[in-house]
Amino acid sequence: MMATPETGLVGIGILLVMLILGVPIGASLGLVGIVGLFLTLGIEPGLIKAGVTAIDTLTRYELGTLPLFMLMAHLLFSANASRDLFDAAARLVGHRRGGLAYAAIGGCASFGAINHSSLATTATVGLVALPEMRSRGYAPGFAAGTIAAGGTLGQIIPPSGALIVFGIIAEQSLGKLFMAALIPAAMQILFYVLTIFIVVRLRPGIAPPSERHGWGERVRALLRVSDLLLLIVAVIGGIAIGWFSPSEAASIGVAGALLLAARRRQLNRAMLYRAFEETLKTSGMIMLIIIGALIFAVFLSVTGLADAIGSTVTGLGLGPVMTLTIVAIILLLLGSMLDGLGLMLLATPILLPVVTSVGMSEIWFGIFLIRAMEIGFVHPPLGLNLYVMQGVAKDIPVARIFRGVAPFLVSDFLCLALFIFFPVLITGLPQWASL
Amino acid sequence: MTERLYKAAIWVGGLALLAAALIDTIAVFARNLASSLHGSIELIQVAVLIAGSLGLVIAVSSRTHARVHVISERLEGAAKTWLDRLASAAVAAFFLCLLAGSLWIAADLWDGHELSEVMSVPWRLLRLFANLCFFVALLILLRQCWRPKP
Repeated sequence: MMATPETGLVGIGILLVMLILGVPIGASLGLVGIVGLFLTLGIEPGLIKAGVTAIDTLTRYELGTLPLFMLMAHLLFSANASRDLFDAAARLVGHRRGGLAYAAIGGCASFGAINHSSLATTATVGLVALPEMRSRGYAPGFAAGTIAAGGTLGQIIPPSGALIVFGIIAEQSLGKLFMAALIPAAMQILFYVLTIFIVVRLRPGIAPPSERHGWGERVRALLRVSDLLLLIVAVIGGIAIGWFSPSEAASIGVAGALLLAARRRQLNRAMLYRAFEETLKTSGMIMLIIIGALIFAVFLSVTGLADAIGSTVTGLGLGPVMTLTIVAIILLLLGSMLDGLGLMLLATPILLPVVTSVGMSEIWFGIFLIRAMEIGFVHPPLGLNLYVMQGVAKDIPVARIFRGVAPFLVSDFLCLALFIFFPVLITGLPQWASL
Repeated sequence: MTERLYKAAIWVGGLALLAAALIDTIAVFARNLASSLHGSIELIQVAVLIAGSLGLVIAVSSRTHARVHVISERLEGAAKTWLDRLASAAVAAFFLCLLAGSLWIAADLWDGHELSEVMSVPWRLLRLFANLCFFVALLILLRQCWRPKP
């Protein structure tokens, strides 16, 4: 069979059917890629490419970052990090109208920085914050919606799994990606805080103020999480000032998490086993997806589909803003069907050439893609965070949680638009830091 | 996979990750103290390969897969069982291709006695370990095809 862009399109069609039928994402990507290579190049090159990709991926030093950051997260999770982080934020701002919602966003942001997963951040902070918010008279839909939206911070705050996977798939520097994510992450936190501020101004009854805690209690709560905050700052700061690479930061993070768990008297055999099991399960699943995605990307590049799409879009002469708006719409539509990793791995080889053809960098696309991916987490029909929140509070219907999320979605769309009009928001920091 | 083997895989994989973290941490401190730990990356690669290969087996054994649930969630009974079987068969086919390709390369390079540059790590043994893990994962998946999730 000839390797033509049409062959690539057929491959994508088959891939979508397999995904919708529930075939695991890694196997779908890998099988379509391998069979595509069999048909276009022959059985021997296809098999050898599969074998080379598998071993290269498993021995890749940078990919070691992913399980190590996950191990750090699981160790910190076992040390009760999520409850302490929310408690500290609640004591600082809980007395204000909407204060516990601000605290939930703060808890999601800080826990997201050590957890790197939207779903885990939503579930963990939800378990701690939602009962507290409801007992203080917060409207259930607003409370659940705030946490579901806050959970999406887990993917954008470095060092997140999504950033690492994108770095590997698109062969981009993890240091640059981590730096580039800092301003968008800060913007997202700020936008969520503003959203809460506006919503509680318009409907004050949905988020009543709680009692004020004295400064002594606030300082004690802050001191309880000082070790966690120090570790987060050390890991991100160490990369920023060049003390260590992102891969080394993961190891430093694990060492710090072990010390922290030992200091909190939580380090024992059972806790280590749990952390190892969760880390290996998740990292094994992601490794399989990465291997599949890399093989699929080779198939697509052999067919020339990505280049054909890139030149077609350039030929239309739409200009950067219109092209990027179309890319955003495609990402949002795909994001409502595919989960985050699936969207990233399918979209990167196809849309990256389109985005670079209008002068945007790969780093810009990575951050933009992850933000669009996050929106899929709180966007029906998939909206996994909505279902996670419903798992935490079964009496709140998904539709009500979605109504709570809706104002945050508006702020997300605004953020995406700002990234299109002002790409420097993403690319500025790594350029300034000369990474 | 028996419970004992599963637990052993988790301990070995987890300790490999801890070893990688320890070596890298020492390397960072050594570098910042004006010294260097030669060959640390090669040792980390060994640890990462062991953890990653075992991670694949553990993910397969515990049926931890990222899937789109649009259809499978709405099905029940025999249809759901067949869809689960299809999923396991597809993952098995993928592992079979990975194993075949990786064995092909391992066989080609076996007599070359590949060693890493600094620490002389014998790569053919590591390839063997990875292939063994692919094979175990394949066996688990074939079993899952016959006995889908209850």
